[in-house]
This record gives sequence, C-alpha cells and structure tokens, in this order.
Amino acid sequence: MTASPPPPDAAAPSHAASPSPSWVSRVFSTDHKVIGKQFLFLGLAFLAVGGVMAMLIRWQLARPGQPVPLVGRLLFPGAGGVISPAAYTSLFTMHGTIMIFFAVTPILIGGFGNFCVPLLIGTRDMAFPRLNMLSFWTMAVATATLTASFFVPLGAAQSGWTAYATLSTAIGAPGAGQTMWTVAIYFNGVSTVMGAVNYITTVVRLRAPGMSWFRLPLTVWGFFLTSILNALFVPVIAAAMVLLFFDRVFGTQFFIAGSTIRAGGDPILYQHLFWLFGHPEVYILILPAWGIVSDLLSFFARKPAFGYRVTVWSLIGVVVLSCVVYGHHMFTTGMSPLLGESFMVLTMIISVPTSLLFLNWLGTLWRGAARMRTPMLFCVGLVFTFGIGGLTGLYLADIVADQYLHDTYFVVGHFHLIMAAALLLASFAAVYFWFPKMFGRMMSERLGKLHFWPTFLALNVVFGGQLLIGWAGMQRRLYDPSAYEFLAHLLPWNVWISRAAYVLGAAQLVFVVNFFVSLRWGKPASANPWEVGTLEWTLPSPPPHHNFDVIPTVVRGPHELGHPDALARGKDWLGQDEVVS
Amino acid sequence: MSYLTLSTGIAFALLVLVLAVTLLFHRARARRPHAHYTHGDGLSARLLTAAVALTLFLAIDVTLAVRATQHLRERFWNYPDADPNALRVEVTARQWAWTFRTAGPDGRFATPDDVVTLGDLHVPIGRPVYLKLRAKDVVHSLYLPNFRTKIDAIPGSTTRLWFQADEAGRFEIGCAQHCGVSHYKMRGWLIAAPEDAYRGWLARAETDSRLRYDPADVTAHEGWDWETGR
Repeated sequence: MTASPPPPDAAAPSHAASPSPSWVSRVFSTDHKVIGKQFLFLGLAFLAVGGVMAMLIRWQLARPGQPVPLVGRLLFPGAGGVISPAAYTSLFTMHGTIMIFFAVTPILIGGFGNFCVPLLIGTRDMAFPRLNMLSFWTMAVATATLTASFFVPLGAAQSGWTAYATLSTAIGAPGAGQTMWTVAIYFNGVSTVMGAVNYITTVVRLRAPGMSWFRLPLTVWGFFLTSILNALFVPVIAAAMVLLFFDRVFGTQFFIAGSTIRAGGDPILYQHLFWLFGHPEVYILILPAWGIVSDLLSFFARKPAFGYRVTVWSLIGVVVLSCVVYGHHMFTTGMSPLLGESFMVLTMIISVPTSLLFLNWLGTLWRGAARMRTPMLFCVGLVFTFGIGGLTGLYLADIVADQYLHDTYFVVGHFHLIMAAALLLASFAAVYFWFPKMFGRMMSERLGKLHFWPTFLALNVVFGGQLLIGWAGMQRRLYDPSAYEFLAHLLPWNVWISRAAYVLGAAQLVFVVNFFVSLRWGKPASANPWEVGTLEWTLPSPPPHHNFDVIPTVVRGPHELGHPDALARGKDWLGQDEVVS
Repeated sequence: MSYLTLSTGIAFALLVLVLAVTLLFHRARARRPHAHYTHGDGLSARLLTAAVALTLFLAIDVTLAVRATQHLRERFWNYPDADPNALRVEVTARQWAWTFRTAGPDGRFATPDDVVTLGDLHVPIGRPVYLKLRAKDVVHSLYLPNFRTKIDAIPGSTTRLWFQADEAGRFEIGCAQHCGVSHYKMRGWLIAAPEDAYRGWLARAETDSRLRYDPADVTAHEGWDWETGR
C-alpha cells in the first residue's frame, strides 16, 4: 500500500498539507500523530529524569550520607557529592511529581491517546486539532516552569508530591520552588483538560460509520473513560493549586491553621481537594493501560477478548466508583467513624469490577494460541504485577491494617506496583506494539526481550521488597531510616532493593538503544505486522498525514481473531472493516 | 491480619496458577495452530465469571470489611472517655519534636502543675493511654510501630488515639507524615513501666516540671482543657 493524496473532502479537518512541511509547521503541528509523538518524546525524556532521581533516592537509602559515585560532585557540588536532607526531600518530591504528571501522563494519555484514538476509530484527526496543539504547548510551559524551579534559591519543591498543607504553604516551604510547583501543576492540568475535552468529543462525534460503542477497541474505551475522569477531576486539583498559590503569594489562609498561627483555614481541606482528584488520578492513569492490555492480550492470544461487554461495564463501574473512594487516603486524619467505614466499604466494592476485568484477562488467555512477542510479554508482566498491586490495596483499604501500614513503604510498594510497574509495562507494551505504525519500522524483538526480563524481575524485587520493609514498619520519605533503632536492621534489605533498582534502571538503557537504533535502522514495517483487525493496521506504516483516503465502514468488533470465516481464507483474523462475501 | 494475608495469598496463588497454565500450555504451536474461538459472552461464561468474582468479593472484601468494622468499634475507635483509670496525655507536635503533657496532681490540664516531657512518653502498663494531639506548624503523624498504629496531628484540629501497653519496655515513637527536611529526626520514646516504677518517675517529673514552669513563657503553655478543647 502506498500513500495517495487526500481526496477532496469537505469534512476533513484542515491541515497545512504541503509535501515538505516547514520547520514551523512540523513543530507547531496540528496533526494528532505528530502531537502524539511530541508528547511521547516529552514523556520519555522526563521518565529518564524521574528515573535518575529514583536511582539517587535508592543510593541514599542504601548508603545514607555517602557521596554519590560518578555524578555526585556534579549534582551536589556544595555537599561534596553527598545528598543533603534538603536535596533528598526535593528528590522524592520531584520524582513523584515528574513521574505522575510529566512522564506517565504525557506518554500514555498525551502520546498514545493522541496517536491511537483517531486512527482506531477511523477518522482523520482529533475533533479540535488546534486545541490539541495548544494542549501540548501548555504542557511544555508546565514542564519549563517545573524545570526552572530547580534553579531558584532554596531549590525545587520539598513537600512531597502530595504537597500537603501547611507544609506546602509559606509555613513549611518558603522558597519560590514550591510556588513554581503549583504553577506547573496548574498548567499541566490545563493541558490535560484540553486533551480530555478533545478525546471525549472525538470519540463521541468522529467514529467511522458502523463503529458503534460496543465495536470500539478497548484501548479507545480506556482513553475515553480516562478523559471523562480528567475533565471532572483535574479542575479540582487546579482549584487546590489556585488556593495554595493564593495562600503562598497573597497571604490568604485557605489551608492555614494552627495553635500558634490563628487563622481560619483548614489543612484538611487541602487533603480532601487533593485526594478528590488524587484517587481518580490513579484510575485516570490505569484505565488507558487496562484498555491497551485488554486489546493486546486478545491480539497476541489470537482470541477474541473474553467478555468484552463485561469488561466495558467494569471499566465504567470503576470510573463511577473512583469518584467515591478517595477518603481511604485519609484514614489516619481522625475522620469520623461513619466516613471512615463508608470509604472502607466503597473501596472494597471497587474490587468487584476490577476482579471482573482480571478474570476476563485470564479468560482471554485461556485456550488461546499465544504468540509471546515483546508487547505480549509486557502485558502478561502487567497482569502479574497488577495482581500483587491490586491485592495489596486491600490491606490499605482495611482501616485496622492501614493505621499501621499508612505512610510506610508498604504504601510505596503498593502504588509503585500499580503506578510504576503496571503503567510502565503497559507503556512499553504500547511502544513496542505501535512503534511500527508510528515510525514505519519494527523494534528489535531480541532487544525487546532483553529489555523485558531484567525489567520485570527487577521491578518485582524492588517493589516487592518495599512491601516487605513497609510491613516491617519503615516509614516513607525518611532521609536516613537508620536514625530509628527499630529500622536499623533493615539496611541490608534496602541495599538489595537498591541493587535491584540499579538493574531496573540499567535495563532501560536497552530500551533506549532499541528505540533509537530501530528508529533509524529497524526492519521496515509492513502495514499490519501483528496481523490484527483494528483500523490503524489497514493503513500504511506510518500512515499518511490525513490517515484514511476513504473513511472506512466498520462491520465488526475489534477482536475477530480465530474467526471461522478468517480460517476459511487462510488467516486467523478479520479486519474491522473487512467485508467477507 | 492473618486472615488478610491468607485470603489475598490464596487469590494471588490462583492468579499465578491460571497464568502459568495458559502461558505454558495455551501457546501457538504446531498442534495448536489457532485459538479456541469464543467471545466469552455466553450465559455459562458470564455465570462463571460472576460466580468467581462474587466468591472473591464475599470471601475477601466483605469479610475484611466486617472484621475491620468490628475491631474498630470494639477497640480502636472505642475511646476510653468513661474510664477514669486511663492515663490522659496531650500531645503537641512541632517541627521536629513531640511534647507530652499530663495533668499533674490537680487532675486538670493547662494549669501550672502540668507534667511536660519532650520526646519521651512515660506510661504505666496495664491501663489505657488516651492521647489527644495537636500540631503547631505542619501535619505530623504519631507512629507507634510496636503498637501497629498511628494518628495524624493536624494544625487547627484535635485528633485522638488510645492504646495500652501490656509489657514494660522502651518502644520507639516515630513521625509518619512528611513534615519537612528533618522529618527523619522526629523521633521519641515510649517508656512503659510497671505502675510503681511509673509513679516513682511521675513524682520526679512533677518536681521537675514545677521548677521549670515559667509563667511569662506563654508560648510554652500549650495545654488545653481536656473536655472543652480551650
């Protein structure tokens, strides 16, 4: 298949479709595929930054107060290469902030959301291409603000990624870094809401003829539902950031109270606002991952997704329930028993749709004919780590267990198994799977597997080890845990967790090499290298600027693998727009 | 917690078992050229999925919620308000230290004879210890790892926690909520002693506190009336 010029079509979104686009139109592109790649590169770059910070954190926990080898004197010149308590506090604050808001969000939602949604639903671009471009450049402003905050007096923010008041107000964080942090998170939110509005409108309005709601790939369901949560709850954290900014800059007292500071505000209000966003945020990030994995497990098991409709309704159920469980982050704030018990029960209920989703994944794999290609390995890895991550969530939903485990490394291990392990595995699966469509070349399978195995094994040791030292009582965010006598014996554990973390970090270099080498020298990709039926694979790799010469008419669902009609034609899959006579 | 680890452990073992079977046996091979074609949306498939999900929900979630609610109502949230025998302690958290205050001989807080200690919380064994907590600057969290519990201390509110030591010993007190650069240094000791030893310590501490009391140092007068909070 070759690219052909777009047919005159009045309904197509307008593009500057010159054959050799200028520098300006490439950088300020309104093409969803280009914007998707921009988000992807931004996210991957910040993933590397956040990852290096994780390595530094692990160094400090394994070798408290010793100079960091190689880069120490460069990064911490004032302290002879030693990470000071203030620097450590900035490190864990910015590690969390960067990974959640500036790495995973742009990779999954900005990157793959943009690239996949129009292609998978059979349209030529997003509903609002210019808003889409603005969304990316707003994100760029947010990242620039965040990056600049490292270089102001007193350094970057230090109140944790949750920025609890009053620590994040002028009482606990007098420097400009924290103020810039609130501005960066605000603009990050603006960008996210712009994207959310665009995805919702695109999915509602621009589906190809015949692409009914229950023929949507589950990937699209993931992005669609995530966008609904983003549109509803990102404004909540944006509001919290505005109030926090006012408290810091204009001397208001929304979140300030205390026995020495007579003021009418309430620090707990901040926690409510933060977690009213913060818990949906977990689902905002995991829903695209669930959607992608649900599709990919089907594609690589060569079997239709088991219980498609149950999966869709489970995802919707998770979205609805995600709005009413956030209080489980606040069980130790002395909330009223009625509230506490309600949040505990609601949190337990959300495990019903989650377990349905899980059972459907296993149902998809059962009696499949699995092709263990690199994307499949990452998906199966996700099922495993998400199993541990999900089940350990029950420990924290149980208030009696939580009042011991809250704010310990058990929490850190639990949410890293989901937010780091599961999300990264899904992101990597998505990169390996869509790379041929994005860049027209295959990534190396051999290097992909060499990337998967150390990554998978090391992250289970790192985050599993964190569960164990949390179970032993070690709190989060301690500069030097051995300051506590009851934690001193955990030092060898931390040493081994750190070693596994270095392996995890080093394994990502294999991915970097694979990515850039394949970009240049990878085997040219055919239109449909994975032999699956969703619409993007009917297009050349990479697709032309306008995607579809003719908007396809969809006649079936996304997972017709092993269909008898297909087997009769000597293959095992049917395209969503393939007419079988 | 054993039921928690057992039930989630079994669920995880089942997950790994199914995953292992499918990955070992349900792969594309010469004698398995293509997969079993099903959408898993028949009645039996749906009933099976629903039955497994419901079983898991009842066996794990519902059981845990019921047990936790019982424990909370009978123990953790059943504060010894009516127990005159409970040792009442007012805790003030600040960056980066804990102050513990008991009522002194007059039995009332916020009076000059309050017994105040910094960092060390002395308690008798065998009777309840009832803490009320406030914070001066940022949010802290009083963490008693040996007692498997913690409670936040929050500026502008009063929170509470109760526990009982049944063995004499020194147990570490930590801060669990990130409270600034020296969060890791915000430690203290819980010293649990038999009633006699505790009373001996208390007599000395009362003298100490009386000698240390400075009516002009109003910032040190952090106590409040136990009942009214003023």
